[in-house]
Amino acid sequence: MQNTTRQATRKRFLIGGIIAVFAMLAGTWSALQLRDRTGHVDELAATRFPVARDISAFELVDHRGKPFNNASLQGAWSFLFFGYTHCPDVCPTTLSVLNSVAQQLGSDAGNVQFVFVTVDPERDSPEHLARFVSYFNSDFIGVTGKSEAIEVLTKQLGVLSMRVAGGDNPDSYLMDHTAGVFLVDPDGKYHAVFMPPFTAEKIVGDFGKIRSAYQ
Amino acid sequence: MKSAAILLGGWILLAIAGTALASQTMDVTGGWVREAPPTSRVLAAYMQIINLTDTDLTITGISSPDFDSAELHRTAVENGVARMLPVSELTIPAAGSVLLEPGGLHLMLFDPVRPLVQGDSVTLVLHCSDAISLTLSVPVLRNTGEEHVHHHH
Repeated sequence: MQNTTRQATRKRFLIGGIIAVFAMLAGTWSALQLRDRTGHVDELAATRFPVARDISAFELVDHRGKPFNNASLQGAWSFLFFGYTHCPDVCPTTLSVLNSVAQQLGSDAGNVQFVFVTVDPERDSPEHLARFVSYFNSDFIGVTGKSEAIEVLTKQLGVLSMRVAGGDNPDSYLMDHTAGVFLVDPDGKYHAVFMPPFTAEKIVGDFGKIRSAYQ
Repeated sequence: MKSAAILLGGWILLAIAGTALASQTMDVTGGWVREAPPTSRVLAAYMQIINLTDTDLTITGISSPDFDSAELHRTAVENGVARMLPVSELTIPAAGSVLLEPGGLHLMLFDPVRPLVQGDSVTLVLHCSDAISLTLSVPVLRNTGEEHVHHHH
């Protein structure tokens, strides 16, 4: 049983690896494309898809208890990050970076939203998420839902997550999870992904280039 | 009664000797604990651990009176997936140092015995293989977001 679980986990990570390699190849190609179009020689740290990908219907709920679905991703650029509120290292670090991104974008951030989607719905209720996201930025949106409903979105973006033990208290478990920041364009399509290590400066710089290429 | 006092005195002497020994053995700079969001009961501590001796030192355990439990962990990003890996032993090379930083090595602190916010300080104890330990007091800081996510291979 344990072995089967391990094999399944390995398989998931292997598939994740294959997806990541494809994404990197696509990103290299798209970085070249973007350079041709704008005439700049800067390379993107982000992986940008040659053609933005449709996101098929998903139905989740935000930290205010309101529906969060495909319509919620339209009309603004969305930065999506997947994690869990008990996350001690990667999630607070990334959300702090995203808060810096929001601050650096300033008034531009009006057409940009930051969305934290939990991979730990068992512990992360809308109320719990509300306290978590507002700790970093009062405009950030927290999203949760049933596991199966979250999977509808995570599978499309290639986001993986897995529960791991931590500490003496069984309720203090940790989650391994994809640490990328996903960019969805105002058409509600999956446009690009940033992978760690990242900085606010890099994300803001790449986002500016991606946005001007899109317009 | 008398023997108990001698025993107690012995323990105190040993503790003092251990601390004195540790202070010549290793040093820690830039230590901090990240203030947790109000939802989390797991915190992370970061620091640079410096080996002042000419031989390798191995840290085999972490403890803290301010938390239910403490462990040494490493965040590793593999194929874009951030994985939390327990580290059972951490070797600080002779006359060298090891950096614990966001997105990399860190101390994982579970279930604080009291709420911790910026301005508080916590006690951490690093235990070495040869019965040496180093007790530290590190501040709780709210992360300002001007840091980078690193990953190590």
